[in-house]
Amino acid sequence: MKKTFPIIIVLLIVACAYMLFYWQPDSTTHKTIFSSSATLPEGGEFNLQSLAGPVSLKDFRGKVVLVYFGYTMCPDICPTNLSMMSNAFSQMDEKELEKVQGIFISVDPQRDTMERLAEYTHYFHPSIMGISGQADVIREIADRYGAAYQMVVQKDSATNYVVDHSSETYVINPQGKLVARLPHAAPPQEILDAVRKNIKN
Amino acid sequence: MKTILSLVLVSALSLFSAAIFAATAADSLTIVDPYVRAVPPGQSVSACFMSIKNSSATAHAIVKASSDISKVVELHTHTHENGMMMMRQVEKMDIPANGETTLQPGGLHIMLIGLHNELKLDQKVSITLEFEDGSKKEISAPVRKIMMKGMMKGKGMMNGMKH
Repeated sequence: MKKTFPIIIVLLIVACAYMLFYWQPDSTTHKTIFSSSATLPEGGEFNLQSLAGPVSLKDFRGKVVLVYFGYTMCPDICPTNLSMMSNAFSQMDEKELEKVQGIFISVDPQRDTMERLAEYTHYFHPSIMGISGQADVIREIADRYGAAYQMVVQKDSATNYVVDHSSETYVINPQGKLVARLPHAAPPQEILDAVRKNIKN
Repeated sequence: MKTILSLVLVSALSLFSAAIFAATAADSLTIVDPYVRAVPPGQSVSACFMSIKNSSATAHAIVKASSDISKVVELHTHTHENGMMMMRQVEKMDIPANGETTLQPGGLHIMLIGLHNELKLDQKVSITLEFEDGSKKEISAPVRKIMMKGMMKGKGMMNGMKH
């Protein structure tokens, strides 16, 4: 018994050292989920409306487009992601800004008017626009991008209804192809890296 | 006579000890760094975040919040299920004995619904928290833009503050 004790200690130390240096669950899963293009949804074209008129994805060929699905009554999740995008954009110089466009697609056309959307997105950054359209058209686009959402009536709450929604940011390259998904609250540096990588390519 | 005297003594003692030991929830809780999120013009909802420290050996809970800033104030949380962020009203927010509960973006928050006026940066918002024992605490939360991990780096923050 006395002899096995030190062996156990040594084994424990080795195990701890292994965990310290090699076990990085977050970073590894993160990378495989969000940059493997094999598992990406098809994405593709969309035609919706903004306050300034119709907007299509093809209007932005030559630019990296960041698409986010949300609703303006969202008190926390949407503003967090738009703040991150805004922060990333404000670290770009003018030349870079010409090559990027942020698009906020409202999944709540019932409450989000065009005026509201324009005011809302402009607050975060002039390079982010808000667009929307008919509910079934938005649903079809969201499905292609793998964005999920559902309206949930809230009894006894003044919110009336809330929108459960996925909160990833979709990165579309200058050729109009969906190339990456950024997770909820991806920090500005991660957004910057994704944009810069695709401006170059 | 003896029994009456001892009864009086016992009740006096228990009253005395109650005064010493039964601190209210409001007395036991410390609110750290409360703030209200700055929102775009025209936005009718916002959220208030903070940390709550409990220095007592009794668990406490926020059961209600109220404020003049909006028509309605509700306790909410976010959960992440089926790839979606789900926001739901909660009945209470627990603060464990000798523990801490943090209200932060993506999780627990006090939701301000139907803001009467547009929030201005640095404006102080007064919110009254009510606890499970009926005690209350009034806090003053400044309006500010959220800063999350990774947002402090580089010149971007300075530029970001302009608008």
